[in-house]
Amino acid sequence: MRMIKVKGKHVILSLVCLVLGFMIAFSYHFTQKEINQKNTNLTSKQWEKTIDLRNQLIELEELNRKLQKELNQKQDKVLENEKDLSKEAEAFVTLAEDAEKYRMFLGKVKVKGQGVMVQLSDGAYDPKEDNINNYLVHEYHVFKVINELYISGAAAIAINGQRLTSHSYIICNGPVITVDGIQHPAPFVITAIGEPEVLASALNLTGGVKDQLVNDNIVFSLEKKSEIILNPILGQS
Amino acid sequence: MWLPLLGLIVGIFLGLLTDIRIPEEYSNYLSIAVLAALDTLFGGIRAHMQNIYDEKVFVSGFFFNILLAASLAFLGVHLGVDLYLAAVFAFGVRLFQNIAVIRRILLTKWSTNKNKN
Repeated sequence: MRMIKVKGKHVILSLVCLVLGFMIAFSYHFTQKEINQKNTNLTSKQWEKTIDLRNQLIELEELNRKLQKELNQKQDKVLENEKDLSKEAEAFVTLAEDAEKYRMFLGKVKVKGQGVMVQLSDGAYDPKEDNINNYLVHEYHVFKVINELYISGAAAIAINGQRLTSHSYIICNGPVITVDGIQHPAPFVITAIGEPEVLASALNLTGGVKDQLVNDNIVFSLEKKSEIILNPILGQS
Repeated sequence: MWLPLLGLIVGIFLGLLTDIRIPEEYSNYLSIAVLAALDTLFGGIRAHMQNIYDEKVFVSGFFFNILLAASLAFLGVHLGVDLYLAAVFAFGVRLFQNIAVIRRILLTKWSTNKNKN
């Protein structure tokens, strides 16, 4: 009886001790964990701040990436534009060269080069000849010379310093010939820019222009020139 | 005699092994309850030494004090008054008093034993 009583007492005591031990241990364990948490983790405020900053950083990085992409695209565009521009510039250069060339052909600018100079003078008075026309330089003589020169590859021709164009006209007007509405008296100096040897030999061809002109009593003189300057036609569009 | 010690060890082990998560604001209650338990335990030891130990009073006091302390802390938290301080104070004072009484009893016992020898 006494043993049982003692045992019951001890059982109750051990139960109390169990609860106490459990509580102490649990509390200790819990506090320890809390301390660890505090050491390792941040407080909620810091946490929030960190998250906020991190979000901001992410946002900024995204923005940066977007802007970088935009920049790349823009740079590509600029590169393309530059390429286009360079192409255009090349085209312009060739166009400018062409325009210069065409202007030269049209007589809009001064041209310079080697060539020949042909002088056609009226023949000396011959009392045997009745017709004065037989020893005058006519427009068809000039035509012949000019045509021959053009055929032989003259780049530009001028009569008495007046440039001929693709739509020039020459008419006989009695003692003078009219070139594009401007009268020119004899002697006629025809200057042509081109290969001097070629032009000269073309004119000097046997039975060619020179012989025909000489037959018509025209004083024909041919001179090779190393430099001829032809002035542009002014006052015309 | 070894049974209460065994119970204590088992309780400590259980407490260390359990991985129950309780919210932080309830940790106050736990510490108050621990304090109450300690107070009651020392009270019981003192009563036992003064030969006025009553098992019913001890056991009921043990659990009732724990619950009371916890509920006091709970009430304090919800009222916005730090009532758990009152519990801490009361239990702390009683704890010291009890330990002091135990010490004095032990000292007298020791000195009487010495005198006898």
